[in-house]
Amino acid sequence: MAAARGSSEGVRRSDAIVARRRRDRMRRYGLYLLAFVILAWVFHSTVVEATDWARIGSLGSVLETLGRFLPPDLSLAPQLVQPMIETFMMALLGTLLGAFLSVPVIWLGAYNIAPFAPVSYAIGRGLMTVSRSVHELVWALIFVAAVGLGALPGILAVAFRSIGFIAKITAEAIENIDRRSLEAIYAAGGNRLQVLRYAVMPQVLPTFTSVVIFEWDINIRRASIMGLVGAGGLGLTFYRQMAMFNYAGVTSVIVAILVLIGIGEVVSYLLRRRMI
Amino acid sequence: MTAPSATSRRRWRRFRYPDSLYRFAALLLFLVLVFYALDYLNVHLERLADVGGRVAVFLAERYYPPDLAYVTDADYLAYVGETMQMALLATVFGLALAVPLAWFAAFNVSPSRRFFYPLGRFSITGARAIHETIWAILFVNLLGFGPFAGVLALTMFSIGFAGKLMAEEVEGIDRGQVDAIRATGAGPVQVLIYGVIPQVKVAWTGIAIYTWDVAFRAATIVGFFGAGGMGWYLRRTIEGLETERTAAIILTILALVMASEALSAWARARVMNR
Amino acid sequence: MRTTTSYATSVRHALTESVGLAGRTAIEVGSGRTGPGAAGDAVLRIDGLCARYGKAGDFVLKNIDLEVGADDFVAIIGPSGAGKSTLIRCINRLVEPVAGEILLKGTNLTALSQRQLRRHRRRMGMIFQEFNLVERMSVMDNVLSGRLGYVGVARSLFKLFPRADIEAALDILEKVGLGEFVDKRADQLSGGQRQRVGIARALIQDPEILLVDEPTSSLDPKIARDVMTLIRDMSRDLGVPVLCNIHDLQLALEFADRVVGVQGGEKMFEGRASELDRRALHSIYAGEVL
Repeated sequence: MAAARGSSEGVRRSDAIVARRRRDRMRRYGLYLLAFVILAWVFHSTVVEATDWARIGSLGSVLETLGRFLPPDLSLAPQLVQPMIETFMMALLGTLLGAFLSVPVIWLGAYNIAPFAPVSYAIGRGLMTVSRSVHELVWALIFVAAVGLGALPGILAVAFRSIGFIAKITAEAIENIDRRSLEAIYAAGGNRLQVLRYAVMPQVLPTFTSVVIFEWDINIRRASIMGLVGAGGLGLTFYRQMAMFNYAGVTSVIVAILVLIGIGEVVSYLLRRRMI
Repeated sequence: MTAPSATSRRRWRRFRYPDSLYRFAALLLFLVLVFYALDYLNVHLERLADVGGRVAVFLAERYYPPDLAYVTDADYLAYVGETMQMALLATVFGLALAVPLAWFAAFNVSPSRRFFYPLGRFSITGARAIHETIWAILFVNLLGFGPFAGVLALTMFSIGFAGKLMAEEVEGIDRGQVDAIRATGAGPVQVLIYGVIPQVKVAWTGIAIYTWDVAFRAATIVGFFGAGGMGWYLRRTIEGLETERTAAIILTILALVMASEALSAWARARVMNR
Repeated sequence: MRTTTSYATSVRHALTESVGLAGRTAIEVGSGRTGPGAAGDAVLRIDGLCARYGKAGDFVLKNIDLEVGADDFVAIIGPSGAGKSTLIRCINRLVEPVAGEILLKGTNLTALSQRQLRRHRRRMGMIFQEFNLVERMSVMDNVLSGRLGYVGVARSLFKLFPRADIEAALDILEKVGLGEFVDKRADQLSGGQRQRVGIARALIQDPEILLVDEPTSSLDPKIARDVMTLIRDMSRDLGVPVLCNIHDLQLALEFADRVVGVQGGEKMFEGRASELDRRALHSIYAGEVL
């Protein structure tokens, strides 16, 4: 074996690899550097320039303000019960309403069962996108303006915000079903509606239930802020405590929200186990 | 084929006792809960019927036509730019913090199940449970008006959002690859970098893009409470009862969010198909 | 979809020219084209059936003629891709034929509107290769879904089937040997059991003919034989003729009275199973290793 020739061949190849690796590394670091520079510029122009550093004062004063948030104001507890229940119920009813309203949207937006595809498909998907793109706070503002203050606009806002996600996931599930069971129902003489009921629904129901429970969990979080714009729940209590500068009370409200979310997590976990 | 008995099962019921009783009771309980809730919240179902009509009329009268000239104003556009910058910073910082927290909060690879795991879980859940607008109000109170508060609020939001998804990804990885790295004598950080991250890299990239999308959505709103961005304009026009301008702002928010969603969906598809 | 006469005729003529002899290159052996049984007129009659996928694709079925009598068990054999599955699916118009007539006891199925078609589909029970059950539904519900052609839409939405239907379902399930499985979910059953559910579903329609599409392709050989036996026995019991696609030649010869051989979309052979000789087999399976 020509050892000399073999080794020089090997050296050349490993040289090439090392060189390529260095080039790749340089390129990567160059990109990182560029990203860092951009980030730094953005940070500077956004945070550094636009902040009133004088007002913030020193780190010490910030920490002192933080300190006023603790310990939570326990005397507030009895006042929190009613808003907590209200928030919880708003989340529940809003999710149910949203699930109910999502059915026609699903029907329109699932390509294989939509009536006048592709027009209805576009409409269905469009509705889903609008529902998800409008922030729940904006929905709340719209409904407060339309129906007044109270829990109702909160329920409506939660509902309309949820329609999009529920519909999107369920429509996708429908588009992925096993078509063969559809065939059998058609062959037996079923019409479109019966095919939906007997072949599509059983396959899609678990997905639908799962996503509704998921949305309900998220909606507790959304319902908690509805009161900030007058749509009921703990949000109002939060706002009031803030307005009174009762920071300890603010913390109490936050704890209440955390408790609600905790309950929601537990319940949704149990429901999921039993229903799916 | 076994011969059928003479008195074969001629009676068949869809719901048999005691299952039927449980189902019925559960359904009844649920309906009671719903109606109690409606009553508690003072919601009158009869009113609900004409709500739809009223909302439609209301929107048509006051919010149409939207004042588009207002949103092409240079000042407004500067705020839109600020919104995007806030979203960018929040995503970057949020993800940076979410990575270690997700590591802590993933039961299978958490460095310490006694200490770091609960720390990670609580941090992520806590960040997630508190709505971004509440974070915004808190930070505004602490740091004054402006995008600094907004960036921090959105960062907390991103930590909660991305952290949960990332932790779930980590919990779904193949144990074998991690053990192989651990067997070489690598320390926990090295195990993370060489055993865990390569497996979740693709999914995490998708999550990162998704987080930016969602953070941008939230960024358009936090300004409502003074935390920077176009939400401030929303507040001003609503308080000034300038409804056509409000409509225009909502439309721009809608357009931008839909564009960002399309962009992120495209980016995520590309990442997944790589 | 109505096949307009002029279009149908022109298609048929075009095919006739390209194929050669009057659209039929059937090798007529022995008694040649055996007519329907002594019971009288054919239950199902297919005349000049043509089908294609897409507007400009190749023809999958070219001028097929077929008759099924009241006592018949007709097996359609042929290599895969010959058009057997399309043929069966054209009969109840799950696939729309391009030309030809399909007469079910005198009713021209190709001329029906969608609404009328649904009413006539319930007269034909279909059994599928992959069972086509609704996995998450119970055996009882799967069988009951065979009555959807009879039950009103409103009642079917709430799964309110008449007592008679439920009794019939229980009866049939006993007969196919699934009496113990009535409330089990379909996805908890084995392949053979699932096909039995499919058979039960087809039978509860009280059909005038059974259309069977490769019932045994997804089953083990022993189970396959059991299923074919069940189909034959039930069809004799209830006096329902069977038109059955089979891939497996052995099973076809064992269970069928008459055999129809299809290759490349054309009917190559028709006659008794005993008349199927080497030459006939070659023409049907030309090129395929038996």
